[in-house]
Amino acid sequence: SSQQFSTLTELIFHFLKEPKEIERFLTQLSDFATMNKISLGPLKNIVKSILLVSNGALKRNLSSEQVRADFIALGLSEEKANYFAEQWKVNSPALMRLAVGQTLMINQLVDMEWKFGVTAGSSELERVGSIFLQLKLVVKKGNQMENVYIELTLPQFYSFLHEMERVKTSLESFT
Amino acid sequence: QAPSRDAVRQLCRECFSSPPAGLGPLAQRACPGFATGPDEAEQLVSALHNLTRHVVYRGLTEAEDILSLFPENFHQNLKNLLTKIILENISAWRNEAEASQISLPRLVDMDWRVDIKTSSDSVSRMAVPTCLLQLKIQEDVALCGNSPVVSALTLELSKETLDTMLESLGRIRDQLSAVANK
Repeated sequence: SSQQFSTLTELIFHFLKEPKEIERFLTQLSDFATMNKISLGPLKNIVKSILLVSNGALKRNLSSEQVRADFIALGLSEEKANYFAEQWKVNSPALMRLAVGQTLMINQLVDMEWKFGVTAGSSELERVGSIFLQLKLVVKKGNQMENVYIELTLPQFYSFLHEMERVKTSLESFT
Repeated sequence: QAPSRDAVRQLCRECFSSPPAGLGPLAQRACPGFATGPDEAEQLVSALHNLTRHVVYRGLTEAEDILSLFPENFHQNLKNLLTKIILENISAWRNEAEASQISLPRLVDMDWRVDIKTSSDSVSRMAVPTCLLQLKIQEDVALCGNSPVVSALTLELSKETLDTMLESLGRIRDQLSAVANK
């Protein structure tokens, strides 16, 4: 029935938006099956095919029109296919962002901490008074995080800031 | 016994820059030029090293301060010459001392590039700009001696990461101006 279908669709999109919540999704599916007196096995198969079509559509940047056509070709009723396509339109920006986010990144900068201070003295100079900036960059290398510590002088800091502002301008001109 | 003023100048520079461990060989090299025996050369080199380092450490900048370091009956002309040489070199030496302080690895260079990601295994068509940043980092100078180790680290930053980073850098800049204006 269409009511059941819309509930099921909701569950599916919920999962697509949070693909890590597998346990939760499976629980929701079995609750749905029990409530609607459908056996879980066939339900799972149907859901599997829907997910397959959805993931393929995401990969190939299909429009909601194309998604609708695909489902109709697979034998879904027009009414249900329309409903799904509607939901697709609403959810696709979020889903696209998720897919793009899964794209490979090399040594991704994950976090940055900083502190600055003044060198008061050293073994070579009794009174120094120079300002230094220390950065801790947390970098994701493969599956592990690596901490990188660097020190910058003030002129280096200002030039770094300047360069990063140029990068931002460049990135913005491409979005 | 020094051959020339310049030779003295050169010797002073070498004595300052040499770490204590390098003074022995330096003394041996100095022997012939200054016509001294090996023991005297060592004493000379060691004394010059200590004198120059002391001046830099204490941050002395006035001739009188330096002159007062010499013993009473020290040869007058030599004393003036050495003081003059030290004053000439003081700021270069100070910079050298600051540069060789212990520190975390230092940033020595930075390059960046903006790429546009057009496709991947998870999305077949897209146009997502991303930034690649390469930092050249030099390990602690004190540990490397004369052959500094420079490594290159290439990082990738998404637009969101860059925006967050710029926010932090902005805050650093604000704090620095607050400190500077005190």
